[in-house]
Amino acid sequence: MSDEGGTPVLRAPAHRVSPRAVPYWTVTALVGDAVLVGAAVVAWLVVPGVPDWAGLLVLLVGLAAVAHVALMPRIRFRVHRWEVTDTAVHTREGWIGRQSRIAPISRVQTVDSRQGAVMRLFGLASITVTTASAAGPITVDCLDDETARRVVARLTAITAATEDDAT
Amino acid sequence: MIPAPGDGWTRLSPRKLLLDPVKAVGQAIIPVVVALVGISRSDTRFWPLVLPLVVLGPLLLGALPWLTTHYRLTATQIQVRSGLLTKRTSTAPLDRVRSVDLEASLLHRLLGLQKVQVGTGVDDDRITLDALAVADAHALRTTLLRRREAPPAALPEGAGVAEEVSVPAPPPPPAPPLARIDWSWLRFAPFSLGRLVLLAGAVGVFSQVADELPIWNEETATSAWEWVTQFAIAAVVVVLAVGGLALWVAVSVAGYVLQWWGFRLVREHGALHLTSGLVTTRSITVEEAKVRGVAMTEPVLMRLVGGAELATLATGVEAGVTQVLPPCPRDVAVGVGESVLEVAGPLTGPLVEHGPRARRRSWFRQLRNALDVVALLAVAWWFLDLSWWWLGAVAAALLVLGAAVGEASYRHLGHALGEQHLVAGSGTLARIRTVLETDGIIGWVLAQSWWQRRIGLADLTATTAAGTERVVVRDVRLDVAVALADRATPGLLAPFLERART
Repeated sequence: MSDEGGTPVLRAPAHRVSPRAVPYWTVTALVGDAVLVGAAVVAWLVVPGVPDWAGLLVLLVGLAAVAHVALMPRIRFRVHRWEVTDTAVHTREGWIGRQSRIAPISRVQTVDSRQGAVMRLFGLASITVTTASAAGPITVDCLDDETARRVVARLTAITAATEDDAT
Repeated sequence: MIPAPGDGWTRLSPRKLLLDPVKAVGQAIIPVVVALVGISRSDTRFWPLVLPLVVLGPLLLGALPWLTTHYRLTATQIQVRSGLLTKRTSTAPLDRVRSVDLEASLLHRLLGLQKVQVGTGVDDDRITLDALAVADAHALRTTLLRRREAPPAALPEGAGVAEEVSVPAPPPPPAPPLARIDWSWLRFAPFSLGRLVLLAGAVGVFSQVADELPIWNEETATSAWEWVTQFAIAAVVVVLAVGGLALWVAVSVAGYVLQWWGFRLVREHGALHLTSGLVTTRSITVEEAKVRGVAMTEPVLMRLVGGAELATLATGVEAGVTQVLPPCPRDVAVGVGESVLEVAGPLTGPLVEHGPRARRRSWFRQLRNALDVVALLAVAWWFLDLSWWWLGAVAAALLVLGAAVGEASYRHLGHALGEQHLVAGSGTLARIRTVLETDGIIGWVLAQSWWQRRIGLADLTATTAAGTERVVVRDVRLDVAVALADRATPGLLAPFLERART
């Protein structure tokens, strides 16, 4: 580990999430942002006597929304990664910030998979692995559902074999 | 009358028959009085009928729990049966008993009773016995905790257990307490601001009342204000300040005495055992095997007088953070902390500093807060059309304060890794040092905001089941964070590490 000289660097986890995550994130971002921008525009039109700079503000919100919808899914797809080894779960997520999470499999308490209605349309599923700490749940977003099923089965098998109370 | 295991179900203390009716009367007194007044107005003929009801009702209701509640200890379980129509049986395996807490309100103490709560490590599921005679309660506690110490497999089959307990065990040699109250610690009471909230509440109530007083209208206020400004503004300010201070000292000292009277912290049966309280006595047990670390807090005012507080971080109890010492001298907190950790150093050793970039972030964070406040004030100033000179002065003061707080929060930052402990320094105004057993770490989160990524810093969070469930090392260099996590939990990160290519 740290005996060979050179500073150790946390490498990215091995696997990307499903490529279908990009359209999924785009759609969800589009829906959310459309509501926001729509509300802003309606407010701008309806409220009487708005000052001129309010229009500029609405325009800025609109531009930010477009940038968000266009860029966020692609950046996020590049950042999001996951890996499950025999000893640990490791994920990286985020798009502006970055979060790496690592939990030893021996401390895993529950393994959940979740598939919302929109996610089902895209054939995606998310896995959440919890430990005894409220700060420690690890979520792998947007795996394709076949992979998700395999990973859940594997994790369940490994955690069933450990006997500790995982605290 | 030590509760002996076996078939016999035991009732709670008969003195409960006195306790519950008093409670019941206390709860029923207002409706009863209202009813009585109503009846006495209308008709006096019903008196002979009503009076016995009023007297007997609470007595009967109070007696029910005593009549219906039984408990017993078997060789493997503690069982409690209660309820009149719906019978409820709670059981807990003896080897799962994690804590036995005793509590006594003033009424309990007058009657020589104690409430016993048995915790099994499952968060909400506590068995409550309210109330046992003091001697029984202590015997039960000793029995339960000592049983847990000895693994059941080591006991002889069957009868051995019963014999061991039914003979009144010779009192164990009293363990020397880790700490006991020292009334010179009272000097820390006024510097501990926890009770300020209470005082603020009282002042709030008073102001509500004052609003209703007839003297408090605009005219009197104006004339009073004129009088004040004319004659005695300085004197009034001084009197108010001195009065407030005196009130605060009285309230804080009284609170300290009430809470920490007779404080003792001892280690027995593999658990930390805390007793204290003047009116309501508490007795709290924290199993040492479940203690994963300690947190020492030095609030800013207490730092001035060298005081500190200490809490243990444990898993499997309702509140993972248990304050085990009253505000006391730092040396005492360090001594008890080291004794709990069973290793010297983590609470006093030097911390690795996080460097100039972390300092910059600490400064910026606090200055930005100050600027936010200044911006809000500026808006208010604009609306109220006040003198800008004042705003400038306030803004300058706030920014200087922000810088000072930023520097303080940087100086509190730091981390260290002992042989078995991760140490994290944190806190803005208070200096907090959290020590966590590396065995208690059940995962890592390495988070970087956009700002942190630009300057190569990260927040490293060790997740744990104990205490607040996380220990954060803030604004540490990314490579240092990775190395720290790797050394703290050898092997966990190994598959995900590679050498830097530079």
